[in-house]
Amino acid sequence: MSRPVIGVCLTALAWALASPALAHHSFGAEFDANKPITLTGVVKKVEWTNPHSHFSLEVKDEKGRTAVWQLTGYTVNALYRTGWKKDVTMKVGDTVTIFGWRARDGSNSAHAREVTFADGKKLFYGPPAGTGEGGPKPAVKVP
Amino acid sequence: MSRFHLASAIVATTWCLACGSAPASNEEPKSTAASAVPRAADGKPDLTGVWQGGNGRQGTWEEANSGLGVGGTGLDPSAPANPASQQVITDPAPYKPEATARVLESFNKRGIDDPAGLCLPLGVPRLALVGLFPIQIVQTPTQLVILHEYMSVFRVIPLNAEHRTDVGPTYMGDSVGRWEGDTLVVDVVNFNDKGWLTGTGTHHSDALHVTERYTRVDKDQIDYVVTMEDPNVFTEPWTIKTKLMHREGTRLQEYVCAENNVEMEHFAKILKEGVPHTR
Repeated sequence: MSRPVIGVCLTALAWALASPALAHHSFGAEFDANKPITLTGVVKKVEWTNPHSHFSLEVKDEKGRTAVWQLTGYTVNALYRTGWKKDVTMKVGDTVTIFGWRARDGSNSAHAREVTFADGKKLFYGPPAGTGEGGPKPAVKVP
Repeated sequence: MSRFHLASAIVATTWCLACGSAPASNEEPKSTAASAVPRAADGKPDLTGVWQGGNGRQGTWEEANSGLGVGGTGLDPSAPANPASQQVITDPAPYKPEATARVLESFNKRGIDDPAGLCLPLGVPRLALVGLFPIQIVQTPTQLVILHEYMSVFRVIPLNAEHRTDVGPTYMGDSVGRWEGDTLVVDVVNFNDKGWLTGTGTHHSDALHVTERYTRVDKDQIDYVVTMEDPNVFTEPWTIKTKLMHREGTRLQEYVCAENNVEMEHFAKILKEGVPHTR
């Protein structure tokens, strides 16, 4: 490989390690990446809003007891761009399964990463775990 | 290195290996390389278009953000939900020791104090690097206008002009631009001290001076090099090098952050009740 190409490679590698991005707020501060959760239930309410979208899900446990969970996800701008349509893709009354991570405060709240619909179709609903918390290392050397 | 970083590095390396089998760019006719850069009527490289920061993939928005994409916005949910690698920078920022502590404090609090949570303009360069949201550049011979979908912020950058001194300081600072060959250089001063520069906790003072260098290297890419100087917090200038990627066909949307910003209530609850959230 020629020297210029190696240089380009190193630049690309550096870029790959440097790409910054963020969500609106720190999902990592509010939700625990070590507490994954999968829930199946009936959609009770959909909030197609910014800076984050939300919906609530009525979930029944094995004993038939119901609980309502609050799910948080992307900005609607991102949802539009990833295949969602307001009032079409997910409606009140739909049965869906979500995968995500629980809130740190122990409430019935979670950051929903993925939604699986009754027909088996899957769509991302929120960013990866820990988004917005600063990544694995700080921007400075730790003294 | 996180799994996502490792994956990114592998992608970059794979791409590089592919480069290695193709003719090196310096072997191509110069006329071909020059024609790859769209130019305005005045002969300057044309930066006009919709662009995405924080993502180096080519293609449309959908193509470039497939799989994990930036923040996992893609259409392939079967991709593993790796821990996020957001806001990581390659080289440590050259903060003074006393300023380093403040960066670490925000990092250890997992960015719960991020000014973005308050729906404030993110400043420069951070606002250009939010991969979830595109920016649109409109170039004329006398000014550059940058429309940021995120927070619905705009920048009007007059060319060959002096900084104004009758306003500010502001979140986005005061920008003036000039062409240096095929590179548009934007000088930004008169910031307030309320923003972060890019990663979590990367604070600055109102002495911040930012120099942005935009170089359109081909149809799809702008090399975006930013140097940040702030004698109150840095020991030396801090330069980051990244790219803005062309997203042809993408249209900006409205974004009203204040519409339903309930997360701040959640954060207040976490802090009030002492919910463990720090590293």
